[in-house]
Amino acid sequence: MTKLYSKKSTIILFILPAFILFVAILVAPIFASGYYSLFNWNGFGKKTFIGLENYRELFTSDSINFMKALGNAMLLAAFSVFIQLPISLGLALLLGRGGRKGERGFLSIYFIPVLISTVVIGQLWLKIYNPDYGVLNVALRAIGLEKWAKIWLGDEKTALGAAFVPILWQYVGYHMLLMYAGIKSVPPEYREAAMIDGAREGQVNRFIVIPMIKPIIKISTIFAVTGSLKSFDLIYVLTNGGPDHATEVPSTLMISMLFLRNRYGMGSTIAFLLIFLCFFFALLIGFAFRDKEVVA
Amino acid sequence: MRKFKLMSLLLALVMIVSSITACGKDDGKTADGKTKLTMWCIATESDSNRHAYEEAIKEYQAAHPDVEFTWEATQNEEYKTKIKAAVASNEMPDIFFTWSCAFLGDFVDAGRVYCVDEVYKKYASELPAVMMGNVTYDGKYYGVPTTMNIVGMFCNMKILAEVGYNEVPGTYDELIECCDKLVAAGYIPFGCSGKETWCVTEYLESIIEKTAGATALNQIFAGKASWDNADVSKAVGIFQEMIDKGYFDPSGIALGNDEVKANFMAGKYAFYMNGTWNCADFAKSDIADSVKVAEFPVIDSSKSKLGELIGGPSDTLAVAASSKNAEVAAEAAFELGKAICHYGYLDGNGLPAWTPNYDTSSLNALTVAVADIVAKSSQMVLFGDTAMSADRANIYLDYVSKIYSSKINGEEFVNGLVKDIK
Repeated sequence: MTKLYSKKSTIILFILPAFILFVAILVAPIFASGYYSLFNWNGFGKKTFIGLENYRELFTSDSINFMKALGNAMLLAAFSVFIQLPISLGLALLLGRGGRKGERGFLSIYFIPVLISTVVIGQLWLKIYNPDYGVLNVALRAIGLEKWAKIWLGDEKTALGAAFVPILWQYVGYHMLLMYAGIKSVPPEYREAAMIDGAREGQVNRFIVIPMIKPIIKISTIFAVTGSLKSFDLIYVLTNGGPDHATEVPSTLMISMLFLRNRYGMGSTIAFLLIFLCFFFALLIGFAFRDKEVVA
Repeated sequence: MRKFKLMSLLLALVMIVSSITACGKDDGKTADGKTKLTMWCIATESDSNRHAYEEAIKEYQAAHPDVEFTWEATQNEEYKTKIKAAVASNEMPDIFFTWSCAFLGDFVDAGRVYCVDEVYKKYASELPAVMMGNVTYDGKYYGVPTTMNIVGMFCNMKILAEVGYNEVPGTYDELIECCDKLVAAGYIPFGCSGKETWCVTEYLESIIEKTAGATALNQIFAGKASWDNADVSKAVGIFQEMIDKGYFDPSGIALGNDEVKANFMAGKYAFYMNGTWNCADFAKSDIADSVKVAEFPVIDSSKSKLGELIGGPSDTLAVAASSKNAEVAAEAAFELGKAICHYGYLDGNGLPAWTPNYDTSSLNALTVAVADIVAKSSQMVLFGDTAMSADRANIYLDYVSKIYSSKINGEEFVNGLVKDIK
């Protein structure tokens, strides 16, 4: 058997199915998007080669306004990294300490939003934000803050923030679980040794636990940033990019180009740029964390 | 080991061969020789046309036991994405619902739609050629219209009575006076969904038409005249003045059409302008006794007149050119189109594109009123998002959305469209 596994042909034979799937499902569509981005094409008619014209139009056209969509996605990424991940880390540190009553119960509760369908969550928050009977406005009116009651998803000033809240809320549990698993893998002896030396819990977390789970934090940051760039479903359900593109993100813009405006070439351009941006940020974050990782 | 390798190879070969043969087997027939037909449409459970589709399909299935007919319905907005993806990949059902004019035109240009000229000859006596205008491309017919609809101004007479009106205001000045009285009495005159921009166009296009005239608007939608039109700019100003004066529910901007429609049926608004496919739902609602329908009044009588309407035959069934049973599918599309028209008309979901040769005494009062409005009409302008190509229509919808949120004025609207719609 060992002889069989050491043969090159056997290795290739075993790798081949996965390699074919990888190329067909991941690599080929990327190249196809890049190829179609060079054409003016409605998706089913005749294609006209236009070189990089779609890229030029994407960054200059007011009617497409890609920069606004990209700016929104970057803002979401910033919120994810600076608000969502610290909350996740805080919860993970609280639960990962161990010995707390109901630890597993809390874990499950925080993770529930990740398990629920995004469309269901979207519908739930649509009801919360409803200007007439939504619980948010009803509560504000009940405590005498009527002037704070707003058309949350219909007002350009509040729509983006209102759409971000459920997105950030939904994935807090996801990142928390990743970090919790990392915290649980920190050897308890380190913690005990620090405590014997007089370190407080906060100091233990800051100087021992967090540095040791940096690889996990790096993964969470990559997921949060690339997830923000790709965000689509909740925005689509809540606002569909409106009002007046105030909540537009690259993915909703891409769908609009592909299927509403029949601009398959432009949609492919956005798709190609999204892939590029996701790779770029994944590499950038990897680079930023590279020298600071602590090997556990 | 050699035996094991041989057996593995043999099994892999069997799997590959069987999957290849399975792929190539679909000849449009079932195992027992029945013709397979599939249809996609938008008649979901909540759609007012659901009953008409169910009855039409039931009839067709009973009359054609040799056909295995399957169908599925998808919600309106999602359907637009779904059908375009199917057309792009040439994976269309045999029969599909579509909107006429530019929407279907893109598919026809791509050669994805079956020409129904031959089959139409059989039905020409029941389906007037004038109704085929929006499905005619290069002189050939590519679809089967079912019902036709216009934009109607639905009025809750119970609310109007509260401010002293027993009839729908007939002139623009009377309408404005009525709205002022409604606002003063604490009522919201109009409800309009801002989340679904096509709902805003139902108002805006009516106002533009009654300011600039149907001919001018038709020319603009057809690309034969520029958007740079002072009357269009003026009409946008009129619409925005109505918004500024509090005639529209401010919550509407965040609501979908279903929610706004529900609000109207719950008595929250005095008026609701939308397609006449709503007649059936209103006739069955709690406010059935107090709803009337009228056309939007004339704003500039030197350019427009009563009888100029927004709408026309748009709901269409078409056949995929890739269908393995295209001829049978075309026959089925006509049979179904006729029956959907029949049941849809009787249910009150619009007016018939097909000549009614059945008892219509059970029609609800709203549909009868719409039929009367259409009978007196002199010119129709098809809905802008259907009349224009997808790219142009969506640029237009973007600007309409900006108008509703008061982000741009009339001048900026026409200048923007001139710049962006090439």
